[in-house]
Amino acid sequence: MSALISTVRASLSYRGREGHWLWLLHRVSGLGVLLFLILHVAGMSSAFISIEIHDRLLEMYKTPLFSIGELALAFGLIFHAVNGTRIAILELKPELWQKQQLATRLAIIIVVLLAAPTIIIMALGSINAFFGPAAGH
Amino acid sequence: MTTLNASASPAARRTVRPIPQGRNRFERAMWLFMRFSGLALLFLALSHFGFQHIIVGTHRLTSEDTIVRWGLAGESITISQLFWRLYYGVMVLLAMLHGLNGLRQVAYDYLKNKTVYNAFMAAAAVLILAVTTMGVIALIVGVNASGATAAITR
Ligand code: HEM
Ligand code: HEM
Repeated sequence: MSALISTVRASLSYRGREGHWLWLLHRVSGLGVLLFLILHVAGMSSAFISIEIHDRLLEMYKTPLFSIGELALAFGLIFHAVNGTRIAILELKPELWQKQQLATRLAIIIVVLLAAPTIIIMALGSINAFFGPAAGH
Repeated sequence: MTTLNASASPAARRTVRPIPQGRNRFERAMWLFMRFSGLALLFLALSHFGFQHIIVGTHRLTSEDTIVRWGLAGESITISQLFWRLYYGVMVLLAMLHGLNGLRQVAYDYLKNKTVYNAFMAAAAVLILAVTTMGVIALIVGVNASGATAAITR
């Protein structure tokens, strides 16, 4: 347990540059998406037992709590996917290693360009569903 | 060959992770699997997420649409249903194995006690493989709507 605490503390206080924060975020987002995926597949696969269970679970996806949580999921998934691609390309092609700074900036720009519109569209959809003219139907 | 100080935090040592050298075939295979499954998931997971959120929209999700895409148990399946089942099948297998191996790397960094590590990974592997099996069974069998009300099957 104390080993666990000291490693976690070391990870949080290690003063690397962007690379360290990207690494930490990659780890946290990967674990977050995995947690969602386990619950999600357990829920969606219930369709083969009974479509009514599946239907009731899908309704839970339309509640306010889920609508907020899925914004974090959107950012986590997009970040992990883009940053993971950066890692994979750089490590499979060592000749690109002098361009790491450029790759890091490019990855951050692509994450923002993909995540910002996605999150805005999702948030507008939820606001419309909860407060729009058809709310409650 | 690493030039990094062994007393540095795992974070410092792991920011760049080169392909494992030497004769550890399992770690080499897993290293490659993480990279190539990741590249496949880039297209699979992002297209699925974009489809359900931008094209359909979470608030318009219905079980009827799942029936249309997956098909009903006991009925012969159409080409488009076969496509959807293969698409979800490849995604569920790659994502779960990618996640399980990723979890193993994280647990290896933080759980220094070997017994704790082994117990944790055994439990995680059983849970993840059980859920994956459920997901695959659903894609082989199809949707069971026998007890459903007309509102769902229409
Ligand atoms: C969408 C495309 C994805 C790409 C391109 C991708 C790429 C990667 C790569 C290259 C690694 C290895 C990092 C390293 O060894 O340092 C990794 C780790 C990981 N991935 Fe993914 N991945 C993707 C999707 C997912 C999904 C869907 C999940 C959840 C099921 C996930 C969970 C994880 C976890 C838990 C780790 C371990 C993190 C760590 O060791 O710090 N990834 N990913
Ligand atoms: C909140 C966001 C999400 C929504 C609303 C959503 C919605 C759905 C729906 C409705 C289905 C049933 C099949 C269908 O109707 O086409 C499904 C299945 C599936 N989804 Fe998602 N999804 C989301 C996020 C994700 C993510 C991030 C992943 C992967 C990392 C994922 C992986 C899967 C898999 C593997 C299946 C097949 C399950 C099985 O084999 O039983 N989903 N999803």
